[in-house]
This record gives sequence, structure tokens and C-alpha cells, in this order.
Amino acid sequence: MLEIKDLQKVYPNGTHALKGVSFNVTKGEFLVIIGLSGSGKSTLLRCVNRLHEPTSGSIVFEGEETTNKKGKELRSLRARIGMIFQHFNLIPRATVMTNVLSGTLSRTGIFASIMGNYSAEDKEKAKKYIGIVGLTGKENARADNLSGGQQQRVAIARALMQNPKVLLADEPVASLDPATSHSVMKYLKKVNEELGVTVICNLHFLSLVRQYAGRVVALKDGKLIYEGSPLEINEEWFQTIYGEDAVEVTIN
Amino acid sequence: MATQTERLPHEPTNMQIVRKTAQAFSLDVFLMAYVILVTHKIIYEKIILGLRYPDFSWNQPMTALGIGFLVAVALFFTKLSIGKAVFGLYEEDPEKTVLKQPYTLLGYVILILTIIAGIFISQISIREFLSESGLNGARRIFTALFHPNLDIFEPALFAAIETIYMAFIATIAALPIAFILGFFAARNLMADSRFFFSIYVLIRFCLNMTRSIEPLVWAIIFSVWVGIGPFAGMLALSLHSVSSLAKLYSEQIENISDGPIEAIKATGAHPIQVVWYGVVPQIILPYLSFTIYRWDINVRMATVIGLVGGGGIGTMLMQYQGLAKWNEVGLLVLVIAAIVWVMDYSSSKIREAIK
Repeated sequence: MLEIKDLQKVYPNGTHALKGVSFNVTKGEFLVIIGLSGSGKSTLLRCVNRLHEPTSGSIVFEGEETTNKKGKELRSLRARIGMIFQHFNLIPRATVMTNVLSGTLSRTGIFASIMGNYSAEDKEKAKKYIGIVGLTGKENARADNLSGGQQQRVAIARALMQNPKVLLADEPVASLDPATSHSVMKYLKKVNEELGVTVICNLHFLSLVRQYAGRVVALKDGKLIYEGSPLEINEEWFQTIYGEDAVEVTIN
Repeated sequence: MATQTERLPHEPTNMQIVRKTAQAFSLDVFLMAYVILVTHKIIYEKIILGLRYPDFSWNQPMTALGIGFLVAVALFFTKLSIGKAVFGLYEEDPEKTVLKQPYTLLGYVILILTIIAGIFISQISIREFLSESGLNGARRIFTALFHPNLDIFEPALFAAIETIYMAFIATIAALPIAFILGFFAARNLMADSRFFFSIYVLIRFCLNMTRSIEPLVWAIIFSVWVGIGPFAGMLALSLHSVSSLAKLYSEQIENISDGPIEAIKATGAHPIQVVWYGVVPQIILPYLSFTIYRWDINVRMATVIGLVGGGGIGTMLMQYQGLAKWNEVGLLVLVIAAIVWVMDYSSSKIREAIK
């Protein structure tokens, strides 16, 4: 459903973040991207929903070329791709409900969304997804008063409100403690298995990768160097991906 | 990773070194010319020769600049160049702290010279401060001030209310204009295209211009334009509030985090929705707090603006002061102090509450 071909990204400051990355994502899979900080993982995800503009190459999503979309077409592309972030990026000082409803902005009129008039159907759906991520009863709590793990779950519910075909997760557990990390990863797995949403996730910890990933691609210096099953990553591959001096840290 | 962090303080290129040297040298020339000019005009002419109003001609600063140039050239090869120190062209000496370097000592000399010059230019005189006639006059006024005339309490109160309302309307009128201008004056929103960036530069320039002219001066201009009275004062305060608030607002916009904006964009939202859900929630409370603080400042300024015909309690103060009715002035000062205290207290309480 997602075909990335020879993707290049050069930032205005000259950093060559992606040097011709190609791979395919099939419908319903849980794909994990690994690699060191600065290897281009975040850039890659942001090129998929065009938060960053690719310099060259092609990204085909559900049979449509995405790299040339503009305005309304671009917004409808983004609406079909949910995204969650390392720092949650919720709306500050707003309630959980408002945050989750902000996932419907693309199909709510500008004026209605400014007045806070969401359709009854969307409100029902928001409640349902808040329930799915285990936050029932917190609808009217201020999102920034919740714990980190709870905030990330609000972000998942917000992304689900978009009815996404794909969910991009940019280091979703990097600012969480080990126990909370597992809980958030479990919810991502649940979204993937029960709702059938394809997940593309950047991760740091190999132990989490082995536990949750269906397939793994590894980036190094903007190039794809490994593609395969998480269980095939042995000591040798580990050192190729992370460098000679790297030691594996586990998170249980 | 290690090599990356070591490279971070990037090596300066030759071009950068040349530019820095030029800047350092200009600074040295300017400082030396300043030292020579001040020494000549204040230390030599005023203190040694005792001239009250020494002659001035443009030849003097020009000569100072010329001599300063020569001295700066000489200094540039020693450890005394402040310019080289400021632009980081000296090798760092781990043995000596910055405070003990030779160039810092030269800095102290310049500071002391400036203080001496300042004392003479301000015509500070202990003799006049303690003269008998002067002290008598001050005592007369202070006695009157401490016996305020309570008969004019009612008109003073009405004038004070006029002042508060004038400040309030000035703030309210400035609010929407500053709100819109704030977005256009925010670098992070405007840096995307050349067209928007030139609007940004233009608006910043206008804001800085209007802000650098004191409200007192605006009040004089407007009192000619619309006639003496509260309206002129309100216009003056309003104009000044627009420029100050727009600057504070735009700085707040420049400080917001990109995260929520990115997240809202990623949902496929329209740019207007991105501003409403990604930008506005981050700025709304600081905006409120700035605005209340501005009202507080405007009340204080309104009393001063009254002095030049901006209406309210300031105008009343000016009238009684012109008639040398110090008992009445005493009452007005008390009323002003009370308003300022109440505004200060309540505005800080409100700002604390909405944090």
C-alpha cells in the first residue's frame, strides 16, 4: 500500500538526511524502523505525510503519487495518515476530548471547528476511541495534567479519529519509562491487530523491536542497510547498524 | 558520536576571521577616540582649565578619531585590545581569569573616565542641594503636600475615574490591532517567503518607530489634532499600546513549540485550523497576562499624560501645580498613589491566577 522509491532529502542547511531509500509497506503490517539518532528515521516518516518535503524520489500511497500533492489534496492525504510523536504534541491546556476531536479537523468545517461544533457522530467515536486506549472517565481532564503514557494514548486516540490507513509513530516511547513503554506499545499492537491499521514505527530499543515488530528496516547515514525479520538481527547485524562500540541495552 | 560533538563549535573560515578582525579593530578605534575626546573635553577643559562652556567644533571628534586610529593600531599588537577580546581573537589563557587580563584593566579605566565625565555633565553640586533657600522651598512644599486639601476630593475622584476608563479603552482599542500585527511581526511565521519577510521587516520597523516616541509626545501631537482632553490621551496611549503589545505578542509567538503545530498539520487540518488549534492555545494565557499588565501601565501613564492636556487626573494636577496650590496637589498625589497601588496589586493577582 506504500511504495517508497529512491527517496532523497537534503535540508536547506546542506544535511543529506536520506540518500536514496527504497522499500515497500504491505497492508496491515507492523513495520519498525531502527537506526542511530541522526540516521534519517524521523525525516523518513515526515516525508511520508509531507511534514517535510522530499527532495527527490517517489512515494506511492494507495496507488497515488504523493510527492506532488498540494493544498486540499495534500490535506486529504495527511488525513488518511495518522501520526504520533515522541513528545506527544498535544494541544496544551485543552481537555482530552478536545485533543481527540482535533483528529477530525480535516472533515470538520473551518468555522465549525473554531466554534467547537463537532458532529454527534464524531463525539461518539471520540468516546469510543478514548475507551479503546483505556482512558474512559478522563474525557474532561486537561491533557497536560495526565502522565506521559496517558498523554501518548490520547495522541493515539487522536490519530485514530482520522480513520487512518497508516499510523506513523516517531519514537513513541522514547520519553517514557520502561513499564509505560510496554503499555503504549501494547496499545499500538492492539490498533494494528484489532483495527487493521498499518503501523510504521521508529524505535530505539531492540528488545521492544523483537517483541512487537512484524518486519524491520534499518537505516544508517540515510541509507537502508537491513530489511527483514526482527529475529534475524544477530550480533553481527547489530554492530553494523549501531557501530562497533555499541552494546545492547534491554528494556523489560 | 564523539567526533560529532567535537565539531560542533565549528572552525571559523578565513573570511570570518577577516570580518571579525575588522569589527574588533573598528571597536578599538571607536573606544580610543572616545577616551581621547572625553579626556580632552572633560578632564582637560572642564577640570584643569575650569571652563564652564568650552567651545566645540567638529574638528575635535575628527582629530580624536584620527589619533584613536593610530593608538588602536598600536594596541592591536598588545594584550590591551578590547576589540580582540570581545570578538574572541585572543588565545584563551587558562591561568588568568577574564577579570585579570590587561584588556579588562583598560576597560576599568574607560568606565572610571565615563563616571567622572558623567558627574561633571550632570552638574552635580552638593552646595546647591543643601543651600538654605532651596531647603526652605522644599520644606514649604513638603508641609503642604502632607496637609492635603480634602475639599477637592470629589472632583479628584471623578478625574481619577476618567483616567482609569481612558486607560481601559486605550487598552481595549489597541488589543485587536496588536493581536493581528503580532502574527505579522513574528519571525517564525513570516520567514517562509521573501514577500512575507519584507512585510515582517516593514511592520517591525513601524512598531519600533512608534514605540520609541514617548506617549507624552504622542499626547501633545493628538491634543493638537483632536483637542485637549481625554480623547487625545486615549489615542496616545492606544498607539503606544499597539506597538508594545504587538511586540510582546510576536515574541510569544516566536517562542511557541513546533510540536503541537506539527501534530495538527499531520491530521490534515487547514492552515487556519492549524493556527487556531496549534498556535492559539499556546499563546492565549500569556496574551491575557500581557494585556492586563498593559492596562496597569496605561493607568500609570495616563496620569502623566494628563500633564500635557490628555485629560483626567493628570490635567487637574498640572492646573493646581501651575497655581502653586500645594495642598491640592498633595491630595491629587495621594489619589494617584492609591490608584497605582490598587492597579498594581490587582493586576499582579490576576496574572498570577491565570498562569
